[in-house]
Amino acid sequence: MPIESIDKDIRNTIIELGGTDAYKCYQCGMCTALCPWFQIENVNFLVNRIPHNVKLGNIMTSEVKQEIDKEVEELFRCVGCDNCLAYCPRGVNIGDVVRAIRRILVDYDSLPKTLKDIIAKVYSSGNPLGDAPEKRNNWAKKFDLPLYSPDKEYAYFACCMPAYDNQVRKIAEATIRILLTARISFGITSDDVWCCCETMRNYGAEKLFQDTAQININAIKQAGINKMIVSSPHCYTAYKNDYSELGCKVEVIHTTQLFAQLIKDKKIVPIKPLNKKVVYHDPCTLGRQNNIYEEPREVLKSIPGLELVEIENFNRKDSVCCGAGSGGLWLDWQKGERLSDTRIQQIIETGAEILAVSCPYCMQMFEDSVKTMDINLEVKDISELLAESAGT
Amino acid sequence: MISLLIEIREGQIKDITYEMLTLAHKLAAAQKQEITSIILSDNCQQYADTIKQYSHKIICVEDPLLANFNTQVYLPVLSNIINDTKPNLFLIASSGFGTDLAPYLAASLNLPLITDIFDLELNPDNMLARRSMYGGKINADIISKSLPAIATVRVGSFEKILASNLLIPNLSAEITKLPFLIDPSILEMSKFIEYGEVPTTGIDITKSDILIAVGRGIKEQKNLAAVEKFAQDIGGTLACTRPIIDAGWLPKDRQVGSSGKTVKPKLYIALGISGAFQHISGMKSSENIIAVNKDPEAPIFSVAHYGVVGDLLKILPLLANRINALKG
Amino acid sequence: MDIIVCMKMVPDTSETEVRVDSTNKDILKVRLIYTTNEADNYALETALLLKEKLGGTVTLISVGPQKVDEVLRMGLAKGADRAIRLTDELFDKGDAWTTAKALAQAISQNKYDLVLSGCIASDDGYSQIGPTLAALLKIPSAAYVNKVEVLDNTKLRIDRELEGGILERKEISLPALLTIQTGTNTPRYASIIGIKRAGAKPLDVFDAAKLNLDAQALAGLTELDKMYMPKVESKAQFIQGSDDEISDKLATLVKEKAGL
Repeated sequence: MPIESIDKDIRNTIIELGGTDAYKCYQCGMCTALCPWFQIENVNFLVNRIPHNVKLGNIMTSEVKQEIDKEVEELFRCVGCDNCLAYCPRGVNIGDVVRAIRRILVDYDSLPKTLKDIIAKVYSSGNPLGDAPEKRNNWAKKFDLPLYSPDKEYAYFACCMPAYDNQVRKIAEATIRILLTARISFGITSDDVWCCCETMRNYGAEKLFQDTAQININAIKQAGINKMIVSSPHCYTAYKNDYSELGCKVEVIHTTQLFAQLIKDKKIVPIKPLNKKVVYHDPCTLGRQNNIYEEPREVLKSIPGLELVEIENFNRKDSVCCGAGSGGLWLDWQKGERLSDTRIQQIIETGAEILAVSCPYCMQMFEDSVKTMDINLEVKDISELLAESAGT
Repeated sequence: MISLLIEIREGQIKDITYEMLTLAHKLAAAQKQEITSIILSDNCQQYADTIKQYSHKIICVEDPLLANFNTQVYLPVLSNIINDTKPNLFLIASSGFGTDLAPYLAASLNLPLITDIFDLELNPDNMLARRSMYGGKINADIISKSLPAIATVRVGSFEKILASNLLIPNLSAEITKLPFLIDPSILEMSKFIEYGEVPTTGIDITKSDILIAVGRGIKEQKNLAAVEKFAQDIGGTLACTRPIIDAGWLPKDRQVGSSGKTVKPKLYIALGISGAFQHISGMKSSENIIAVNKDPEAPIFSVAHYGVVGDLLKILPLLANRINALKG
Repeated sequence: MDIIVCMKMVPDTSETEVRVDSTNKDILKVRLIYTTNEADNYALETALLLKEKLGGTVTLISVGPQKVDEVLRMGLAKGADRAIRLTDELFDKGDAWTTAKALAQAISQNKYDLVLSGCIASDDGYSQIGPTLAALLKIPSAAYVNKVEVLDNTKLRIDRELEGGILERKEISLPALLTIQTGTNTPRYASIIGIKRAGAKPLDVFDAAKLNLDAQALAGLTELDKMYMPKVESKAQFIQGSDDEISDKLATLVKEKAGL
């Protein structure tokens, strides 16, 4: 491309919105090879072209409808798993670059409709499912739990998925059973705490993220919460990394971290044996992005009889995304283009009978894959396995 | 006087006509008013004979140019009739024809119009109409500031006159034939060519009042035929969940859900659908939801109005038999 | 062909709960975001496809406050050439008739062959502005159009969607107004280059005085009395018994609800 045809306006806008890392890239192609989409044969997602095209201001410069459609589809493929960042010799944060591009598109409705609808749903109801805000804590009714008050040590936030979706409600329920058995001093957050919007920020809905973050930070401050337990790695990273930059002081603890500590302190004792082969899938957001690899494994290993196996070559920092990140949960790619199916294939090869997860998004993706692939594999959250073994 | 435009398509008086007559009689009884039915056709007599028992007066305008609906041709004819007869209220179907015609007519005559009403009160100097807004999530009462006023009536909002429990006076309308005095050059502006059918690949499940949706519980492709037949029997359209599309059993335009279509039919029958949230988000606003599923805990029951816990493959044939028996 | 597309900004309520506010005259809008009326996107796409084929211009027009510029800029980013926004307190006070009058007055000052709008607004659901506007402009119109074919420079052949999967095919002379059905085409996304260019395209603003319209001319013919929630849905009622008993009850229910 001749220099005079470089579109500096487009380049500079993307750089200003957070895509500076594009300049670091020396086009080795490592990111393309490491991208989870690379494992899917009929998808050709050339990640390394993204920083290159940003440098040239050559992102979405076509005016032909079919090409624009294709480019939008490609730009919303990135699940923000950071596998490329983990190995990039130049430390290019592709996630940041992609997010900067998406921010321009989201402001002009150039995003898949399901993702656009979710923005409206979160604004109207505080959660991506669009269910009534006052029903947020309905899942907890059967436990008769108190709302958090400053005399309690912890607040528990269940994430919108377990709170509203019956399919993964069991994650929150198992967690509560463990917290009650361990006699933890806690209350649940009120329905003033909304979706963390980590996912929406990643797909470019920056204004929604900023607005929601303020609502949540205020709600948490008002309630006087100092320590908050969360079930979702996405809530975890939002509070720990994003909200803290906005002045949120809450200490956030992922359930697997808490469970590992409770077991160490003998506050919860897994006694009931589970004589099964279990494999653990590291969620990108908990593992690669927050370095929590060992606590989930410690919890699993504490269960008598449980044989923990690993996904060879693809565990811990080399885990492969379930496909739910950055809006992928709602994009519903067609059969043959689903990251969760690829991951399940790797998991089957371990011979495990149970897939242990620690993220509500992963659970949803994998349960759906297991159903559609018609295979025999139980998907369980670590909280469920621990709650069962500890006889809660 | 309350007037209404008889809706005729391809030689048939459409049901909405009889529904509008029910509304007209309700209002006429309360207000001691007369009902005038207006027939525009190339052959009015047969239609006049059919409806004269429900009208005080019938106005017919007959001409080959009125054989098919055409706003531009109807406009001068109806304008003259309204100007001459000054009805308090003029009812038009909220149909493909009525939505094309009514706003044009109202604007040409400078009359208030309220569209797609499902209920209406006629007062001495205004009308109050009830209608939906925001895709049915809100209802609103709208008042016309003056009379005469025009309203288009939502299909299915009233019983047909025969099925209604109204006490109808014994009527045999006096029929007035008015001359057709239109310059045929008006057809240069807008000319009816023919009726066509929507290509079958373009099935729009969002437009169907009745959807029968199948999910994984259907188990095998061969079972779809029975569901399709059942759908036809009750005048519905076959729809499905994502996995059925993935399996290649039905084309993509049948899919309900966040990556398919969002639907809100009058009746949604969910067969063997557990109710993943992606699916539920696409159908939870349906007016009536009947769900058949083996699993009593299936989330589909959280949005269903009626639930059956059972095996659809066992229940469907039994149900289909009974429907056919009930239909006689 | 010079085409004018009427666009409306509406609260995005397709996937959200809607509640009535304390005045009972409007919905609670604090938690809603605004977007382009769905059907208008199809109208715009129809216009852009015609422009790609035949050349000419696409002008967008909308009535509303400055916020409406977001919708107009989106349309400009997709390929429209210029935009007009009509803003005045007098426009807000009236009804569909008022809006159509303002639009008609502004449109009549432009050269056009075709006026397009969406077939229905997702907020009020009136389906009224299009044909009303055509009557005021004294041009023929067709509502719920899902296919547009240009016959020559003076005529269109169009399909209109009627009930029950039936199409009405007609010929209509230009200038004309069409209201476009949803699903007619696949509305495009804006490209980044389009977004960049949109910023430099003209967006003119007119008030009632500039359009020579006064309160009397703009007075509505109807008024909203009140809004309220429809009846609340009941909870699932389970039909029980043997398969035969269930089928009996279910058949009666299906017959009733399907209106057989």
